[in-house]
Amino acid sequence: MNAAVPVFRRSRTSKVVDRLMRGVLWAIALAFVAVLILFVGAILKQGWPVLNLGFLTKMSETLDAGGGIKPQIFNSIYLVVLSLGISLPVGLGAGIYMAAYAGQGRALRFLRLCIETLAATPSIVLALFGMIVFVQAMGWSFSIRSGALTLALLNIPVITRVTEVSLLAVPRELKEASYGLGATKLQTILKVALPYAATGILTGLVLTAGRAFGESAILVFTAGTNASAQFPDFRLTVPGETLSVHLWYVTSDGTLPDAREIAAGTAAVMILVLLTLNLLVRLVDRAIRRRTR
Amino acid sequence: MPEAPEVSIAAASEGGYPVLKEDLSPAGAGVPTFKHSRLQRLADRWAHLGFLICSLLVVGLIGGILYFLATRGLAAFLPLAGNTGRALSFSEVFLSADWAPSSDRFGILPFIAGSLGVTGLALLIAAPAGILTGVFIAKMAPAWMRNLMRQVMDLLVGIPSVVYGIFGLTVVLPLVSRTWLADAPASGFAVSALILAVMIVPTIVSLSTDAFESLPAALDEGAQALGSSRWQAIWRVLIPAARPRLLTATVLGLGRAIGEAMAVQMVIGNNPQWMALMRESTDRAPFLRALFTPAATLTTELVQELPNTAAGSTWNNVLFAMGLLLYLLTMVLILATRRLGRGKEA
Repeated sequence: MNAAVPVFRRSRTSKVVDRLMRGVLWAIALAFVAVLILFVGAILKQGWPVLNLGFLTKMSETLDAGGGIKPQIFNSIYLVVLSLGISLPVGLGAGIYMAAYAGQGRALRFLRLCIETLAATPSIVLALFGMIVFVQAMGWSFSIRSGALTLALLNIPVITRVTEVSLLAVPRELKEASYGLGATKLQTILKVALPYAATGILTGLVLTAGRAFGESAILVFTAGTNASAQFPDFRLTVPGETLSVHLWYVTSDGTLPDAREIAAGTAAVMILVLLTLNLLVRLVDRAIRRRTR
Repeated sequence: MPEAPEVSIAAASEGGYPVLKEDLSPAGAGVPTFKHSRLQRLADRWAHLGFLICSLLVVGLIGGILYFLATRGLAAFLPLAGNTGRALSFSEVFLSADWAPSSDRFGILPFIAGSLGVTGLALLIAAPAGILTGVFIAKMAPAWMRNLMRQVMDLLVGIPSVVYGIFGLTVVLPLVSRTWLADAPASGFAVSALILAVMIVPTIVSLSTDAFESLPAALDEGAQALGSSRWQAIWRVLIPAARPRLLTATVLGLGRAIGEAMAVQMVIGNNPQWMALMRESTDRAPFLRALFTPAATLTTELVQELPNTAAGSTWNNVLFAMGLLLYLLTMVLILATRRLGRGKEA
């Protein structure tokens, strides 16, 4: 402590309370660390005996034991890619509009309100919307296309938000230099601002992919709880049960004799995928920071 | 935010652009004006239109969701041609606890009460724990612990709800039932709320960490210079100063909790008759008993029954009305966070 800083004499109770509350705050924080370790540990431990190459590469069963999760892995990836393909252009466009065109006034505030509302809308409500519009009104029934479009609704607000924030963080000098060299607004956005913001947007994209990968409520009501018997089945019109839906369905349906094992294995696979994604984001982030430093 | 220039000459002078003063526009007096080619000007204008359409799509979605949910949800109350059942009155739906769809009785009070109950309990755990963790990360933890906590919260928020559900089902429920309930089933509000609390805590933590970090340093320094201990500064100065944003964090956590479907559905027991069960019970500790009574919420009932009902039936329409209720609630909560945010500036 600096010599010039006055030293106070505190009452004993205030000292005791201070020490006690420091302990409480540390305990709460460490409790969350413990919860996470316990959680991941339990899921991996339950799933470990089930995890083997056969489980990952066999087709799933609907009535008999011994099924794998190959089609579900495919459907999960396929739906995430499709939904990102739909939501990325829309989210980027809306984000660019908000950062570069909407001004600072009422229009921007209203757009942000809409994005926040969409982001906070429960996925079961999006599922109902997708069910009314895509499954029933368009007559697409439970299919990959219904699922991908509804899942895109979940991604759009996140991508928009990330794009807007990353663009706003672009240094003013960079844009001014671009304009000073005679670039148009579009050129400045595409060739200066977006490349600078790309890493932020990319990180957001990976997180969005993780969220879409884990989503279940939306897909139960739009992509259905059946997986195609063909593999790989790229058709957009067939039902596409994903890993998360499979996990939920075998658990709540209960016709599979080995539902418990299948669910445990699926959960472990999902946790491993998400841990890998998380690590990926961290590594990319670190690499970029080292390069820019 | 850097000072925004009042007029942007370059933009204004360029082919009928409205005067924009935002971040990415050429701005400031004395900026040279360039003559752009026709193609450049055309591309600029079309891109502007394209970006605008994307934004309008988002606005349209908000309205579209409301419209489609309302057409189906309100159909339960209107004598429409496509309805197979009779038109219900609002009071027999929203004020009645009698849910017996096969006997034409559609009181959804158990689900509203269930949603409020489980959300309230989850917040009771998650709000204090989340806010305290937020202040811990922002104002107390050493750097390594701060980093660790960020990673823990990132992972917790990334875990899918079905995985939370399976954890609750296979680990928490058996554990609680074995240790406290003499092997009686443990599904109900208590375990649901516990799982939900862990699910929403990252939201509350990250927003309240931001809230504490954005407080002026002078507040903390002033409190310490006046002789307050670490905890006194936190409790008497920092938490009151951050209150509007802490409330916003709590409201957003509430929104996440009330809308969560799959995880809760897997552990709550899915019993629409839970209120009747409670009323008839002669237990001497009704509150404690309620914690472990299988129950149901708006979201769990949707997941449970929507696949089994025919489109256009009164039953189906009432389920969509429950979805509409959830959506309207989301809107109210978001508007509430706006109110809270405005209170901060005043």
